[in-house]
Parts: sequence; C-alpha cells; structure tokens
Amino acid sequence: MDLEDDTSVLTTLKSFNSFISHTEAPQRLSEGSAGSGNLQSQYKRSMELMEAGERVHSNNRYLQLDGEKKQMELSHKRARYELEKVASDSARDLEHEVDRNQDLLGRLKKFQERETEAAKNLSEQVEANRALRKNMEALNRKLEERDTRLNTANQTISSLKDEIRELTQRIQNQDSTTSSQTLENQELQEQLDLQRRKHQEVSQLCQSLQATQSSCSEHIVKIKELELRLALQEQDIAIVKTVKSEVAKVPDLEKDLKRLREDNAFLRESRENCSLLKEEVEGLRRKLERMEKKKEELVNIELEKERLAEKLKAWENLGQSTGLNIRKPEDLSREVIHIQQREIALKEQNYTLSSRVRSAERSQNEHRAELCQQRSKTLEEQKKRETQDSLVRRLQKRVLLLTKERDGMRAILESYDSELAPTEYSPQLSKRLRESEDILQKTQSHNVEMEAQLTKAQEETGTLKLQLQTVELELESLKKHQASAADSNTSGTKEELNILRQKIEDLESERQRLEEQNNILEMRLERHNLQGDFDPIKTRVLHFKMNPVTVAKQQRQQDIDALREEVTRLSELVRSLQEGGAMVQGDSSINASLSLSLPPSKEVVDLRKQMESLELRNQRLKEVFQRKIQEFRTVCYVLTGYQIDITTENQYRLTSVYAEHMDDSLLFKKGSNGSMQLMETVFSKTLEEMMALHLHHQKSIPAFLSAVTLDLFSRQTTI
Amino acid sequence: MTSTLNGITLKGSAELVADFFSFGINSILYQRGIYPPETFSRITHYDMSLQLTTDPKLKNYLTNVVSQLKEWLFECTVQKFVLVITCLETNEVLERWQFDIDCDKSAKESSAPREKSIKIIQDEIRSVIRQITATVTFLPLLETPCAFDLLVYTDKDLLVPDKWEASGPQIIDQSEEVRLRSFTTSIHKVNSMVAYKRTDSV
Repeated sequence: MDLEDDTSVLTTLKSFNSFISHTEAPQRLSEGSAGSGNLQSQYKRSMELMEAGERVHSNNRYLQLDGEKKQMELSHKRARYELEKVASDSARDLEHEVDRNQDLLGRLKKFQERETEAAKNLSEQVEANRALRKNMEALNRKLEERDTRLNTANQTISSLKDEIRELTQRIQNQDSTTSSQTLENQELQEQLDLQRRKHQEVSQLCQSLQATQSSCSEHIVKIKELELRLALQEQDIAIVKTVKSEVAKVPDLEKDLKRLREDNAFLRESRENCSLLKEEVEGLRRKLERMEKKKEELVNIELEKERLAEKLKAWENLGQSTGLNIRKPEDLSREVIHIQQREIALKEQNYTLSSRVRSAERSQNEHRAELCQQRSKTLEEQKKRETQDSLVRRLQKRVLLLTKERDGMRAILESYDSELAPTEYSPQLSKRLRESEDILQKTQSHNVEMEAQLTKAQEETGTLKLQLQTVELELESLKKHQASAADSNTSGTKEELNILRQKIEDLESERQRLEEQNNILEMRLERHNLQGDFDPIKTRVLHFKMNPVTVAKQQRQQDIDALREEVTRLSELVRSLQEGGAMVQGDSSINASLSLSLPPSKEVVDLRKQMESLELRNQRLKEVFQRKIQEFRTVCYVLTGYQIDITTENQYRLTSVYAEHMDDSLLFKKGSNGSMQLMETVFSKTLEEMMALHLHHQKSIPAFLSAVTLDLFSRQTTI
Repeated sequence: MTSTLNGITLKGSAELVADFFSFGINSILYQRGIYPPETFSRITHYDMSLQLTTDPKLKNYLTNVVSQLKEWLFECTVQKFVLVITCLETNEVLERWQFDIDCDKSAKESSAPREKSIKIIQDEIRSVIRQITATVTFLPLLETPCAFDLLVYTDKDLLVPDKWEASGPQIIDQSEEVRLRSFTTSIHKVNSMVAYKRTDSV
C-alpha cells in the first residue's frame, strides 16, 4: 500500500515535471507570473499538507509508542518487583521474561532513537525545503535565472522527495515493527497479569510464612533469653556465694592491704634511701679514687718534698758549715767570690808572712855574721885599744922619760952654762940646744899628735863601744826575736805551716767545689740563656710594634667583637620573633623592621605555599563535593523518582516526579534509633490505603514509596 | 756587598747575617706552616732552593725588621734575635727560635777586613738553614692557628726607634731546647737553637 503511494507520488512528480517543462514555454508569455504563482501555491499547499499528514501520523505513532513503552516499563518494573519475591521456579521464568523484556526495551529504545533521528532529519529537510522555496521565490522574481534555478530546485526537491519517501518507508517499517512489538507486548502483558496473580498468591503465602517464622524465631529467642537468664542466675548465685565468703575475708584483707600499703610505703622509702645511698656510695667511691690518687700524689709530693728538704738541708748545712746565710745560688756565688777573695788575701798574707820569715831569717843570718864581725872587730878594737893603751903608756913613759931627759938635759945644760963659759961652748952648745929644742918640739908635737891620736882612738872606741852596745842590743833583740821566732819557727812555725797548709787545702777543696758549683750555675745560666732569659741590666728586648702576632690578635679581637655583636643581634631577633609569633599583627613595626632585616625564612615560605595549596585543594574539594552532591541528587531523582530535601535536621521531604501538585510531598523523620517515620502531610492523608498495606502490614518504606510512584504514574498516564 | 772575596768587613758581615735572618725566618715560617704554603715562592740562594713569602704585608714587615736589624748588627748592639711562635687561641708561646749573636766589637775600631772567604761563610749558613729544615721532623705539630713575632735582644743603652717597643722575653713554660749549628763571619758569630713546648705525650 505504502509502495503504491510512493509510486503515485513519483508519477505525479514526473507528470508535474513534464508539465512544467512542456507547458512552460507556451505559457510563459500568456500566463506569466500569475501561472507561476498558482503553481507555487499549489505546490506549497500540497507539500504542507503532505508534511502535516506525515507529521500527524508520526506524532500519533510516536505518542502511541511512548505510551506503550511507558506502560511496558511500568508493568515490567512491577512484574520484576513482584517476581523477586516469588519462588525460584517462577523467578527463573520471570528472569527469562525480564531478559526478553530488556531486549525488547533495548530494541524499542533503538527504534525510538532512529525515530528521533528521522524526525530530526525530517525537520532539517523541511527547513531546507523552506529555504529552497524562498530561493525559488527569489528566482521567480528574477526572471532570467528562474528556469535554471527552478530546475535545480525541482531536482533538489525530487531528491528530497526521494529522501522523504525513503524516510516514510523507514517509518512505515518502524511502524510495522512497532506494531509487531505491541503485539508481543500485549502477550507479555497478559503473561505478566498471569504472573502477577500468581505472585500475589505466592506473596500472600510468603507473608504468612514469614509471619509464622518470625513468631517462631521470636519464641526461640525468648526461650534462649530465658535460658541465658537462668544460667546467669545460677552463676549469680554462685558468685553471690563466693562474694559472701570473700566479704567475710574483706576485713582481713583490708588489714592486709593496710599493712601492705605501709610496707609498700616503707619499701618505697627504703628504695629511695637505697638509691640515695647508692649514689652516695658512688660519690664516695669516686671520692675514694680521687683521694687515693691524691694520696699517691701526696706521697710523691712528700718524697719530692723530702728530696727538696734534703737538698735544702744540704744547702742550709752548707750555709751553717760556712757560717754564712746561703739561701740562693747567687749568695753562694757571692760567697764563693768572697771566699776566693779571702783565700787570695790569705795567700797573699801567707806569702808575705813566709817572705817575711825568710827575710827575717836572712837578716838573722846577716846579723849573726855581722855580730861575728862586730865581735871580731870589738876584739880587734880591744886589742887595738890595749895596744894603744900600752902605746899610750909607753908614750907617757917616754914622755916622762923625755921630760926627765929634758930636765936632765936642762940641768946639765944649766950646769954647763954655769960651769962653762958660754963663749967656748956656745956655738956648739947653742947648736945642740937648738937641736934638742927642736927635738923637744918635735916630740912635743909628736906627743900632741899622739894625744890627738889617742883621743881619736878613744873616740873611736867610744863609738865602737856604742856600736857594740847597739849591736849587742840588736843582737839581744834579735836573739829575743830569734828565740820567739825559733819558738814559732821550730814548733810554732811548723804548726802555723800545718795550719796554713790545711787552710790552703781546705781552700783548694772549697775552690774546687765552688768551681763545680760555678760550672753548674753557669750551665744553668746557659740553660736560662737558651730558654731566652736575659740580664735586664745589660739587655733589653725589642720588637716591632706592628708584628704579625699583635696584628693577628687585633684581627681576632675584631672578629670576636663582630661575632658577638652578630650573636646579640640574632638573639634579639630570635627573641623578638618568638614574642612576635603570638602577636604578629600587634607590632607590625617590629615585623616590618624584621622583614626588612631578615627575609622570611625558607620554612615560612614553604609553609605558606603549603597552606595556599591546601586551601586551594579545599576549595576544589568543596566544588567537587557540591557538584557530586548535585549530581547524586539528580541521579537519585532520576533513578528513584523522588527528590529528597532536608527541611530541618533529621527531617526529609520526598517529592515524586509524578506528583500532581508541587506541594504533594511526603515527610519522613529519622528517629533516634535510625528508624524512619512517616509524618502526616496533606498528601499523605490521601494515601491511607497504601500506608496500611505497605507500612503497617509490610513495614517497608521502599515498597510504600514504589507503590506511591506507581500510583501517581498510573494516574498521570491515564490522564 | 763591600767585602772582597778574601776578606770581610763589618758592614759586609752585618749584611750577610741580616740576609741569613731574612732567609732563615722565611724558611721557618714555611716549614712550620705559619703561613699557607701557596703564599711562598721558590728561589735559589746559597746554592740551594729556598721559599720566600709573597704575602705583601709579611714582606713589608720582614724588610722593616731586617733593615733595622742590619743597622744594629753594624753597630754591634744586638745580642739575640728571636722568632717566637705563639698560639693565637691560648696566647701560649709554642716555639722559640733563638739566634745568639756574638759581636766582635773590636771590629768597630779597626776597619781592616777579616780573612774569611764568603764561600765558607755561606757554606756554614747553608748547613744552618738545612738544619732548620730538618728540625721539622722532631718538633711537635702546630695544630692551632699560630702567629709569629720577632724579638731583638739589644744593649741597654740603645735608643729605641719609632715603631719599636719593649717586649717580654716570651719564654716557654716547660720547654725542650735543641742547639743547632752555628756560623761565624769572624765578626758576628751566630749560635742557633730552638726551644719548643714539651708535650705530655712524649
């Protein structure tokens, strides 16, 4: 039927085309724009009619299908819901049916999709047609290009018509399939009705079974509880008995407890004491060790002290033995020098003394020799004197003789003179007289001479005697001296010599000792010299003012100062930071100065970054949560058919998709034990029947809600 | 140098000794690690390779001291020349390099050159510096940062110049002394020795 339709359309299109192509040329002049306008309106009307017809047709089909589908879905859902509670064999059948149903549903959906696609295509085509029509109008107005444009438009129209035909064909196909599906659906519905009835029966049976089972289980539970109670009571009795016996023991136990507590306290104290004692013991042990060490040190020190004391004593002995207060090496050296000087002085004295002794001996010998000489001289002198005495006597005698002779001569002479005349004998006599006188004179002079000689000799003897006396005195003194000298020289000198020798030996030994000491001291001095000691009297030590040591020390001091300053600054900073941490906002001035002086530490920066990222994450989580919640709610709404809102805490308002009014809602309240309770609303009042069945009898809120949904849905669809 | 090959004058002797001190101090500072070894450069003197500092401050200081020392050597008023190594942390004297100088003051009056060839003197100086280098083997290691000072023991009647001041002898407490070789220019006789702080471990 449909195919014929199509062919008729095609034939009409062909005839139309041929009509246009043939009749255009003769009619162009006569009819002109009016003819073309007629044709256009005709065409337009036919197209519109066709479209409207098609649209109405498809719409009807669609609505029908939709209704059917919805009904099917509903029935299917109900069937499934009921079938779930049916026994296993019926369930298997149901599942099979459900599978098939699902298949069918899938196919249905596919068909629906195809249908929608086709509808879309159709609308698109319609729109294109419209555009083309507009174009055609434009073409008609522009006469020159009209034919060609019309042709192309016709061609496009024909192609579009083809397409439309195809589409209609498809729709027809779909219609056939849908009709077959509706048939199937009807069959299924019948089956479903059957199964529903069965299910109701089964469910009733099931419910009764469940009721009995539940009552049975309750009874069993009660029995168990009672048994448990019995056992518990028996246990309690036993416990009570034991407790009673224990209660009897309680006072004793309390006493024991007290005692034990006291013991405990005592033990604790003793433990503390013990630890204290241990610490003390440890301390004492350490002390003991230290003391022992000290003792050893003490012994060493004492030994050293003794050695030093010995040394000191030796020194002091030295001092005492020498009778000098030698306390220091310098004293000693001074003493040594003194002693040496004294030694030298004594030596010198010794030498002088020995030399004096020798000189005294020599002088003694000389004196002796002199004495001998003097003795011999005196003897000689004595002899001389004796001789001179004898000579003097002889001379005196001679003088006497001479005087006597002279006197005799004179007498003679006088006698002569008197006797003889002076004339005869005078010359002779006078001559003789004269001669005698001369002789006399001579003798006299000789006498005088002799006397002078005598006096001289006497004087000489006197002097000699004096000399002798002095010599004798000297001799005596010498003798005395010699005696004393001999005394000392013999025994005394020997002793002296011995003493002196000893002294010399002593001095020599002392000298050697002192020399050794001197050497030691010199060595020490050398050592001191080596160590860098110096004589402050003669020497001074100089160094360059800006030497590396002072420079380095200054540098060091500066460094230390700088570091100290930095440390104080940093500690100040740390303190202020610590204080400022609590009241960062409080003292922004300090903070500012701090931030100026100290860039925020890496840690702080890191923490800040972390914080920012966390905040960002939080924000994102919030957004995601919101989105998810929204999504969840919409999904819930779509899947269950209820929009769930939380009006107040623990109160949930459910609004069905199929609610007839916006205010139709169910209100649930969540109890303290988690159970949900339906609150009364205007809408709930209309559902008394369902409430009685599902809530009071079946005690299932989901079942109730599903029932409400189904009810509302059925109401909506029936309308 | 004013000295001839065969003789030596007071001035030449003073210069020779001052040169020895300059090289000796450099050598000690290098050997004892008072200054980092990279601040020293190698030169050849006395027919041996020696280390000479390149640190400008140290160079300046040494030239100051050595030139003054040369004057005093010429005047024969120096008794000792001491290099003291001090620990900077404890201010403790750790080492003392002492050079006793015996001046023949008669050389001041008679300007006649002494007969001793420079070659022999330089041989003696070389052996002294070698011995200074060798002492590193027995001297204790300087573990802490140290600085050095140069002391000059002079006659009391000497006029103290500017930039110089009196100092203590910087004696080491509990020291070990080691005599080193000596050399003489026949005018100045230099006895070297080193004293170092006795360590408990020995």
